[in-house]
Amino acid sequence: MTGSPLLEVKNLEVRYEPKRARSMTAVQDVSFDIAPGEFVGLIGESGSGKTTLATALLRLLEKPGRISAGSITFDGTDITHLDQDELRDLRWRDLSTVFQSSMNSLNPVIRIEPQFRDAIEAHSDLRGEAVSERVRELFDMVFIDHRFITSFPHELSGGMKQRVNLALALALDPKLVLLDEPTTGLDVVVQHSILENVRKLQEEKGFAVLFISHDIGTVLDLSDRILVMYAGRIVESQPAGELLREPMHPYTKGLLGSYGDPRAETVRITYIPGRPPDLSLEHQGCAFAARCPEKIERCLTDYPELLPRSAGDVACHVAQQSGGTRHFDGPEFVKSADDSERAREREVVLTVDNVTKVFEKRRGLKVERTEAVTDASFVLHKGGVTALVGQSGSGKSTLARMITGIDSPTEGRIVFHGPDGDQQVSSFRGRALRDYRSHVQMVFQDPYSALNPTKRIGQILERPLVNFHGLKGEERRRRVEELLETVALTPSDRFVNRYAYELSGGQRQRVVIARALAVLPEVIVADEPISSLDVSIRAEILELLNDLVQTHDVGILYITHDLLSARMLADDVIVLNEGRVVEQGPALQVIRDPQDDYTRTLLDAVPNPF
Amino acid sequence: MRYFLRKLGFFVGTLWAVVTLNFLIPRIQPGDPAELMVRRLQGKDSQLDAAQVRAMRSMLGTPDGSLWSQYWDYLGDLLHGNFGVSYTYYPFKVSEVIGQAIWWTVGLVVVTQIISFAIGMVLGAYAAWRRNTKLDATITIGSTFVGTLQPFWIALVLVYVFGYSLGWFPTSGGYSASTPGWNAAFIEEVISYSTLPALTLLIVTPIGWILGMRNTMIMNLGEDYIRLAKAKGLSDRTVALRYAARNALLPSVTGFALALGGVLGGTILVETVFDYPGLGRLMGEAVQNKDYPLLQTLMLLTTTGVLVANLIADLLYGVLDPRARRAEG
Repeated sequence: MTGSPLLEVKNLEVRYEPKRARSMTAVQDVSFDIAPGEFVGLIGESGSGKTTLATALLRLLEKPGRISAGSITFDGTDITHLDQDELRDLRWRDLSTVFQSSMNSLNPVIRIEPQFRDAIEAHSDLRGEAVSERVRELFDMVFIDHRFITSFPHELSGGMKQRVNLALALALDPKLVLLDEPTTGLDVVVQHSILENVRKLQEEKGFAVLFISHDIGTVLDLSDRILVMYAGRIVESQPAGELLREPMHPYTKGLLGSYGDPRAETVRITYIPGRPPDLSLEHQGCAFAARCPEKIERCLTDYPELLPRSAGDVACHVAQQSGGTRHFDGPEFVKSADDSERAREREVVLTVDNVTKVFEKRRGLKVERTEAVTDASFVLHKGGVTALVGQSGSGKSTLARMITGIDSPTEGRIVFHGPDGDQQVSSFRGRALRDYRSHVQMVFQDPYSALNPTKRIGQILERPLVNFHGLKGEERRRRVEELLETVALTPSDRFVNRYAYELSGGQRQRVVIARALAVLPEVIVADEPISSLDVSIRAEILELLNDLVQTHDVGILYITHDLLSARMLADDVIVLNEGRVVEQGPALQVIRDPQDDYTRTLLDAVPNPF
Repeated sequence: MRYFLRKLGFFVGTLWAVVTLNFLIPRIQPGDPAELMVRRLQGKDSQLDAAQVRAMRSMLGTPDGSLWSQYWDYLGDLLHGNFGVSYTYYPFKVSEVIGQAIWWTVGLVVVTQIISFAIGMVLGAYAAWRRNTKLDATITIGSTFVGTLQPFWIALVLVYVFGYSLGWFPTSGGYSASTPGWNAAFIEEVISYSTLPALTLLIVTPIGWILGMRNTMIMNLGEDYIRLAKAKGLSDRTVALRYAARNALLPSVTGFALALGGVLGGTILVETVFDYPGLGRLMGEAVQNKDYPLLQTLMLLTTTGVLVANLIADLLYGVLDPRARRAEG
């Protein structure tokens, strides 16, 4: 690093001090620099304070949040306490941003061009046609057709919106662009191409980037240097290469451990047990100690300062003493290829036979036909997992809806080989459909919205027991406890009376899974069950699902866009592209030796730090 | 374009359903409201001519003729504005009675509604923009307090203070000495007479708009596009108006058009307190006197008003929110 840094953050502390709740320190003692033109990654999971930090850097904190200590110096100016009028000159011209979930960061009722124009005109002398010219230039930079310049935001796809946001951020050639989870929620392939685009533009234009993400894979791919944040503090800072080769902090090791090479014969991924600390409570010692496999006595009493070591800095007593290993010595989920062989010999529980689904949409007198699924065939084994892999819009969810009996196929049939013999799913009506649903259950993507917020966990789990099995009193209570124990929410009496919002994402997803298990289903359709969870706990849910397959003999249809998790869980993989099955076979074979171009594209897009 | 045509189609369909229901309801009623009306009017020593009786029957039902021919007559009468004779205002025809009252109400209520809406939007947006400040608290708590007061009570207070104690404004009626028409004396009187009812409405009506706008706008202020607009370094004015208020306005627009539609129903209590010669007072009288022809025509008018307002709201929404056009188109 030469010359003076572009951004210099010193001992920054951000506190939330709401009137009616405990105050908390979301960002504590954070110091780092960004040099001009440097690409810095910031990794942290939900609740680590990374978004608060970003908001503070942009000086967009709103009450009850405030910068309570430390300073932010941008390009030689201390901006920590500048008022909004003074900041206005610097905004966008020098410091711009692309927000998390930018699906929503364009004003929905105004066309796109004026949204570029107001920013450009506020900060430059360009007017009229010169602005339009600049917008066209920017659209070229992100490879979007000029005809979308006059569109409304909702007329663009998610990926396009995000590119537009990127173009908007670069409108005035800023010195620093802050990217806050810019591709979260987008499709892997789209995500990949946008990040490529970011990297190229950054090399060309030479602006500095602070790239915030929960996904260490994508950050490692792009960044020069990486900061790791945990519980409001920076726990490690290293150049990307070194961080990958020699992570120092156990938390970093844990994050890296949640990635594996899907091509290996045996894949091991680790997860970090427990959950991050509640920042509104007082802490002693290292915030990570409770989850740390390497902790020593001192970790519980003294907070480790962020001190230089080898190529970077680390805040860990253990790491400061010895190098330690690269491996995270925590719980592990292992999948080897032979497990799958056994599963394939079991009997078939569900057959999807040449299924086609056509949606018809009336537009006035014309009928528009969309083929969502074309001629798909596969089987689901008892005690086995079949993964349905594809981008959004590939027809995964349509297939899931047909399998659960919500929609029926236009052509072909889906046959359930249940206790009452072979039955065609689309023939179920009323009572029969209800019975069928006790055999086929669904686990949803978002555990936050899949649980009724006004019900206690116990009540949520009782519902299916009452509905399908008519259990009462003591028996029902016992079964609820059993279910909680099955999904490792123990001791169960600590969970029955709690509400979903009191649980972490991983715990909620466990409740969702327990609810699906309540009726002893033969088939579980799991629609992206881990994609909204933190990376460090994904393996934990995968392991749980895997155990269920082994011990409860259910068949799982695992819907995902993520080939690594498909490999970890599934025996067979089916790759869907635009409604067609383009490839299917044993998971390892498909991943090691993909036959179809699309499968290769998907594989290339998987962030893989190794 | 398709969006607008569709909405127009829906409007025509619903209007037809309303008109038809209006035809059917009196016919389903037990007894014969038409016969009853005719008798009651004759009891008033009135001389009903044949055409009037026929109009009354086609509005309120008659045992003669097939349902289809009755329906046909009924539609014909509607087209010619032939709604029968008012019992209360005998010998005036319903159409004449309403034709006079409607302009009073439209003038008073439409004007106050528009002003109230504007006040509501501005105060609501301002309170939201300065949320959790003293100003916000004053506006919110003040509105909530005023919102709990009954309009007729406020009307009485105004009558007492400005009418009797101070004697600034007349307290009842629409005009007194002047001749109705486009002359200065009459216009001056109309304004003076409608000041107190207008004031009452101006105190009561904005409350809903203020609170509604404030809440929607506060929700909108949390949206990413607002944060981005701030990060863009745009002026507060631009962020507040073009980004926040522009979006927060959307739900209120529908509400406003509907409120305008309800105008035709009049504001019964306020008009009654001030003895204001509008539709609201008329409706009150019609109910009291079981004046079926008048009441039914008022109902038809009100429902049509709401429908038209709905249509306007839909069309306006299509213009204001590009997403609506596509979702329905």
